[in-house]
Amino acid sequence: MLFGKIKKAFDKNRQHFQDGGKLKSIYPLFEALEAFFFTPANITKEVPHVRDSIDLKRFMSFVVIALLPTFFFGIYNAGYQSNLISGFSLDFRAAFSKGLLIVLPLVFVSYAVGFFWEILFASIRKHKISEGFLVTGLLFPMILPPTVPLWQAALGISFGVVIGKEIFGGTGRNILNPALTGRAFLFFAYPAKMTGDSVWTVVGRLKEQSVDIISGATPLAVSALAGTGENIEALLAQKGYSFLRLFTGTYPGSIGETSAMLCIAGALFLMVAGIASYRIILGGILGVLSTGYLLNMVAGESSAAWLSINPFYHLVMGGFAFGISFMATDPVSAPGMENVKWVYGFAIGVLTVLIRVFNPAYSEGVMMAILFMNLFAPLLDYVEIKLRLKKRVPNV
Amino acid sequence: MILLNIKKGFDLKIEGTPLPELAELNKPSFVAFLPEIIPFIKPKLLVEQGDRVRIGSALFIDKRNPDIKFLSPGSGKIEKINYGSRRVIKEIVIKLDNKEESVEFDVKKFSGNKKYSRDDIIKTMMDGGIWPFIRELPFRDIAVPDYMPQALIVSLDNKEPFQPDPQVYLKEEINLFKTGISILKNLAENVYVHTSKEFINIDMTDNLVTHRFSGSYPADDPGVLLHHIRKDPSENRAWYINGQDVLLLGSFFSTGRYPVKRTVALAGSLAKKRMYFKTRIGVPINDLIEGRIADENKARLVAGGIFRGYTASRESFLGFYETSLALLPEGEKSETFGFLRAGYDRPSYSKTFLSYFNRLPLTIDCSLHGEERACVNCGACAKVCPVDILPQFAFKSIAAADIEESLSHGMLDCVECGLCSYVCTSKIDLCGFFKSAKQVYYKDKV
Repeated sequence: MLFGKIKKAFDKNRQHFQDGGKLKSIYPLFEALEAFFFTPANITKEVPHVRDSIDLKRFMSFVVIALLPTFFFGIYNAGYQSNLISGFSLDFRAAFSKGLLIVLPLVFVSYAVGFFWEILFASIRKHKISEGFLVTGLLFPMILPPTVPLWQAALGISFGVVIGKEIFGGTGRNILNPALTGRAFLFFAYPAKMTGDSVWTVVGRLKEQSVDIISGATPLAVSALAGTGENIEALLAQKGYSFLRLFTGTYPGSIGETSAMLCIAGALFLMVAGIASYRIILGGILGVLSTGYLLNMVAGESSAAWLSINPFYHLVMGGFAFGISFMATDPVSAPGMENVKWVYGFAIGVLTVLIRVFNPAYSEGVMMAILFMNLFAPLLDYVEIKLRLKKRVPNV
Repeated sequence: MILLNIKKGFDLKIEGTPLPELAELNKPSFVAFLPEIIPFIKPKLLVEQGDRVRIGSALFIDKRNPDIKFLSPGSGKIEKINYGSRRVIKEIVIKLDNKEESVEFDVKKFSGNKKYSRDDIIKTMMDGGIWPFIRELPFRDIAVPDYMPQALIVSLDNKEPFQPDPQVYLKEEINLFKTGISILKNLAENVYVHTSKEFINIDMTDNLVTHRFSGSYPADDPGVLLHHIRKDPSENRAWYINGQDVLLLGSFFSTGRYPVKRTVALAGSLAKKRMYFKTRIGVPINDLIEGRIADENKARLVAGGIFRGYTASRESFLGFYETSLALLPEGEKSETFGFLRAGYDRPSYSKTFLSYFNRLPLTIDCSLHGEERACVNCGACAKVCPVDILPQFAFKSIAAADIEESLSHGMLDCVECGLCSYVCTSKIDLCGFFKSAKQVYYKDKV
């Protein structure tokens, strides 16, 4: 049996990683690999004698599973957009294989570099390697533009893991979402590769005339450029971005973020499994819609076009759907108390719209909104805990 | 009667629940008293090896209050006294003779339906060795006699898996129960008898039950009841007694003899026969499981409940308070890609296994099902905590030794049910944090 052989290989090489072995310093790597294949046979030492079947590996695997549809669509879409602009074949296989060429190196770099840091910190601290990075390592490439250079991806994930997580003490102790921290770093450090119209599509070897026909502008960029009194929906439709297309996701953007439909599917899966908080997700959607409608109401003849956009467009454009489903619901950086999760989600929705509408320099608001609210999560928790503890009959 | 709806808690769908069959267990050759597992006490021995004892002879006292006595559950000779590390007294083993001689206590003055002096009753209970059955919240130590509690709670249910069903041990013993309750009424302002909605009144015409709850484990715990009914901090120091111990109390006051009868549940997936036995306090574990255990080498013997009990060895005895023995598989085997299984047979509080749709009781072993990790704030513990503690936040204040913060989180309200540890995704023993913090706090205080 294959697994029997793998088990034997682990047993045979264990000595090198244990006390006295040459590779003792990277024992956490050995341990993590073994635990990946074989759930360890640990038993309870005292009460409670029985424990639940769930563990963090399963918890995190569920997030990865929820991400997979979006991920595969992202691969397809990256290839599709690239082939479209380069004038290559648009059939599924061609687009998907092109997408693999674009996305897989990014994923590989993200996991390899990120795990390097995880293993380094785990070895020095004599910790176990936490499964949290399984998710971070996949999330990070999905929120990057497909054209980002690999060295920048490596730098971004390094920043995200080290500054966003490890210096706070590792998984469970980080204040900010590590993947978003990495992206924010790239956004500010290398704006040329993170913003603008040209970064969202990988341009292949050009055939004649193709670039002029389709611009690489994202729907958000199109909307941000709309002049006073213009109708954004019409403008988007003119560029080929119908609501349906925005919903399904075949438009240029960060690799994983474009398909609101599949993000919703993933979010539903996580909510049903009880892993993502429905309070955050629904709160976020409510925040977007209510702010959108409020802006609609104050919009006048001479106000910016952004103010009068149908609020549902905010939900399907750019990274909101992805951010609220998979980034805002990260339990570590979100508040832990149930009621303030509504506030947290709602504020993310509100901020996303406000940043988009009032700050054309950042056409994408959700990243900043989530990071900003990450900072407020401990405060929100603090307030709810204080209120709740006040109601307790004291027992001292 | 007051109806309570206790929303938090969790019922394990575990295989091995005993059938309501009751059989007499053969008289054991030895019985024992296990001072080690009685929390907080500082035992001082009154006997030594070779001494003859009767049922009801004092074996040792608690140095903290020398009036609290622990009596011999058998008549015969002290066979040996086993010590553990640092000379802690583990077991006082008594070889039984056939005489069943018993010390007689004077309880005649308590017959009839008049009001007795509280001090008199307490003195008699202490001499008769049954005072230790009454314990005090929040630390669950033996009750301090000169305190008059607002409430004395009798828990009459078995929400923890495999604990004896009151409907089994109360059968034919209801008069003893009534006697016990009438005695208890002298000890506290109020006596509450607390059971579940499903519990059928067995001839309880006197309406002894005061509170009925609907809810899951550990809704039957006295601490949970107290959490839901108290209005004032003065009620925190409530007393409680287990339903089956009320029978012993009743028996003591009707016969004047130290009661040793116990109804013990034998349960768990490795028990070939899952049923109840009529036996006595301090029965040898071996007598209970001989010929009734399926796979001995793989079994863990848990005395006193899978969430709160202790691991016993086959050579040992059942403790003073324990009334159940569960035989669970140890589960020491690794599993290929364990975290990716669909899990129709994997019990879980979470909704990440197909067992969510499985209504059958499942085999649960003692595996940790994973490795310990840092807390990711998933919040499962706060969803099950029956006394509304926020374990995911409170355990951090305990770990940081911030005692004020821990107390304001309700650390002392913890009923030590173990559910937070059970559900923890990161396999953190949250309940252990609370238990040890409570103990340290108590020892500092006293």
